[in-house]
Amino acid sequence: MVGIIRYIRNIRRSGLMQWWRNMQYIGDAKYGVLKGTDQFGNKYFENLDPEDEVPGRHRWVDYAQHEYHASQVPPEWHAWLQHIRKDPPTEDPVMQNLSPAWKSHWVENLTGTRGAFKTYDTAAPKLTAWEPKVASRPGVPQ
Amino acid sequence: MSLTRTVPRVLSFSARLTQAQLSSRQTLLVCRTFASSSARLQAILVEGQKVVKPVDQQPYKYTTVSDLEDPYKGGPSAIDKAVHLFFFTEIIRGMWIVLEQFFRPPYTIMYPFEKGPLSPRFRGEHALRRYPSGEERCIACKLCEAICPAQAITIESEERLDGARRTTKYGIDMTKCIYCGFCQEACPVDAIVETQNQEFSTETREELLYNKEKLLANGDRFEAEIAANLHSDHVYR
Repeated sequence: MVGIIRYIRNIRRSGLMQWWRNMQYIGDAKYGVLKGTDQFGNKYFENLDPEDEVPGRHRWVDYAQHEYHASQVPPEWHAWLQHIRKDPPTEDPVMQNLSPAWKSHWVENLTGTRGAFKTYDTAAPKLTAWEPKVASRPGVPQ
Repeated sequence: MSLTRTVPRVLSFSARLTQAQLSSRQTLLVCRTFASSSARLQAILVEGQKVVKPVDQQPYKYTTVSDLEDPYKGGPSAIDKAVHLFFFTEIIRGMWIVLEQFFRPPYTIMYPFEKGPLSPRFRGEHALRRYPSGEERCIACKLCEAICPAQAITIESEERLDGARRTTKYGIDMTKCIYCGFCQEACPVDAIVETQNQEFSTETREELLYNKEKLLANGDRFEAEIAANLHSDHVYR
């Protein structure tokens, strides 16, 4: 009974559109505070009310892509989503101060696509095969 | 066994008894061989429900059957147990618990959307870090290569143009790695670390043979999270 009341309450709070989207992806009528949006458009929600959410399910992400994957979450939000950091990166001074200028763009796990990582040698080979060169001689056709 | 052990004892003090009493005693003795305790085995029925201990245990202490401890006292009767057995009450109680759980909120974490808690010391995918200036940290001391119990790390080093010793190859075979974290503990400059990333599974095996460029790229992407984890953990180090 509690679940049905929570379900109807969350539909009323989130709206029918968001409820339908949640049912298509996360499979539950969830409602929470929007804590932020990352550079890819993924939205991060939180609801700390134990009446609404079972502890452990109180942080979630609404993926921007239809072909969602867990590695689409950038590392800063990943630390928040996996409960490593208490605050989201938008409110976390430690995470903001420790971001270096040379930080590169986040790339999701591209396995199975043409962008998948293929290993290669980072140094020049120490042994090279002998390539014979024939010196040109006068009167001998090449 | 109990019969052969107890018959001489009973006969020893049965000399004073009459023949009729003796015969009744012997029939009693046959029944008593199935008694549960030695006290019951040696008890002699005298009158009605009264139980008398053997005569060599003077003075006499009279006890009744109701005084003896009954191991089934207070428990369910045979009829009770039979009723529970034939009406499947245990199955019905188990089904009731299932019905209760049906109306409770599920504890399942919907994984790609919600994730379980991780420690800042979690050991996941490897990364090579840089100094805040952008200079790579690894000095090719090969301590991680030496301590790696799976021998997953391969390092080759050369002198750089400015005279610094740096690695030319830093390979980790992630299929060999056992994620023990010895490499990041052995590293004197915090160059090789294990990030909190656990979603790096691949479809082919050669994608997991990481070279130096891949590890440095991991470090460039994860630097904020790595540094924040080290910051939250530095008071315990």
